[in-house]
Amino acid sequence: MTIGGILTILMYTLAPFIWLLMIGLTIIIGLLLLAYLRGYQITHHHSHLASLLAVLIGLTAFLWVPWLTHSTLGYVATVVDWIALIGAAIATFVIAFITLHPLSYLIRLQNEK
Amino acid sequence: MQKPPLLTRRELLKVGSSLGVGSLLPFSSLSANTLQTQAHIVILGGGAAGMAMANRLTKRLKGGTITLVEPRETHHYQPGWTMVASGVWNAAKTMRPNAQFMPRGVNWVREHAADIDADNKRITLANGETLEYDFLIVATGIQLNYHLIEGMTPELVGQHGIGSVYASIEGASRTNQAIQTWLSSGQGKGIFTAAPTPVKCAGAPLKMTFTTLSRLEASGQRDAFTVDYMAPGAGLFSQPWVDEFVKQRFDDQSVNRRHYYRLSAIDPHAKQAEFAFVGPESEFTSHHELREAEFRRDNRPTVIADYDFIHVVPPMSAHDFVKQSALIAQDGPFRGEWLDVDIHTLQHNRYPEVFGIGDVIGAPINKTAASVKAQAPVVEENLLAVMQGNALPARHMGYTSCPMITGIGKAMLVEFGYADNFAFMPSFPFIDPTEESWAVWVMKDRMLQPAYYAVLEGQA
Repeated sequence: MTIGGILTILMYTLAPFIWLLMIGLTIIIGLLLLAYLRGYQITHHHSHLASLLAVLIGLTAFLWVPWLTHSTLGYVATVVDWIALIGAAIATFVIAFITLHPLSYLIRLQNEK
Repeated sequence: MQKPPLLTRRELLKVGSSLGVGSLLPFSSLSANTLQTQAHIVILGGGAAGMAMANRLTKRLKGGTITLVEPRETHHYQPGWTMVASGVWNAAKTMRPNAQFMPRGVNWVREHAADIDADNKRITLANGETLEYDFLIVATGIQLNYHLIEGMTPELVGQHGIGSVYASIEGASRTNQAIQTWLSSGQGKGIFTAAPTPVKCAGAPLKMTFTTLSRLEASGQRDAFTVDYMAPGAGLFSQPWVDEFVKQRFDDQSVNRRHYYRLSAIDPHAKQAEFAFVGPESEFTSHHELREAEFRRDNRPTVIADYDFIHVVPPMSAHDFVKQSALIAQDGPFRGEWLDVDIHTLQHNRYPEVFGIGDVIGAPINKTAASVKAQAPVVEENLLAVMQGNALPARHMGYTSCPMITGIGKAMLVEFGYADNFAFMPSFPFIDPTEESWAVWVMKDRMLQPAYYAVLEGQA
């Protein structure tokens, strides 16, 4: 299958969920924007709790991603399966981190006032 | 009054394709030349094949008339019916309005076709009206011949322990309920059958067996249930490696395989099935002569089997009005049952202005939606060549695909073609067709339906 064919199918796959992706993106960008406007910088702010939570949420992907696809972790067997699932877990971690990290900054700022 | 949406899904995809990513896509509408014509093209059938052709030809032809004959308002994603019958999907997930896929400018005739007069290039509709054509694409799909099983009707599906994933979307839902009722009884015998004819989605009878085994095992009472698989021939699947794999897996999962038995009659109230022993000369996708012999019940040894659940796979053929036309195969293995086309060019063997696509064609394999994806560009290119008086440039290599579900949650991506005794033709070099995989299951569960709609809209 060509790259173009794969992209076409991905577009069709994502099309019903675009509204959900847009809501999610709006929340994350809004949060990041709000935090940046209040002095947040990703490299300067440290929150072990946010990082730990993001890692834990990322790890939960190993359970809920197979469940969401009507399957179980026991059927994740091939190299491609594991690459796909680890990729999903990393993506979940990244989304959780870029949400929780600026959020923790805003909460800390609120508590310091 | 309800406001119209700002952008329909199709328009959204078109916008997407015209932006960045779209420029990378090999959409035929962006790359292929159009043809000026005054021809009238009739497409019989608005399933996957017919709708894909309507969308493709709309983009390629300027000035002609395209008529699509399809009585149904609802488009059924039939590859999803095994998921419905296995209790994984809701029935609603498989249905969309046909209008959603119908391209603008196509004359949609909401009527059944009743007759094809190939010599006079004329179609007669069920309401008596006629359509003259210059070019014809036969995409009528398949006819389910439940009547060849004595005592069986599609209305029985869901009652008396009878299931049949093929019957309809309602039949698939009722099959799920029948399986659930059997499971709830806590014990009993299930019989899974196969047909002595080519069938659409030849993997479906096997998938239904595997998903039911999953449900039996999940109940924690597997040993309380007996599962038999009754095959009319020596094989269970046309691809040799997969055939051996399925046989071994059935043995491992304590499925009693019985070969050379055809379901010949059913007594729903007694919950008994009669099987005719068709003998070791029988083949899985049997030829016409053999089928004729198989359906003759005189002097044929039979066995009666009690069941608590039975999955019925009906014999299949082209629709009667196609069988009664001059377009049906006159000799060879598909004689009297399937459309007579060249399996590579998909052009009719005797009527050059006629093409066939999808389940209706006489081909050794290929009754899947995946085959339609491969066939549609071939029919498009070859039809346009015929319209211009050119030689046929495109050839179909028999590509077909079956995500062979081996349990609820895992599958194998089985893709193969005509060559080398149905050798594998993997689309993705990194997916091994011989491995059971969660990722392949995810493709079946999440991605193949969107891919199917892309094919329908002529985008893939």
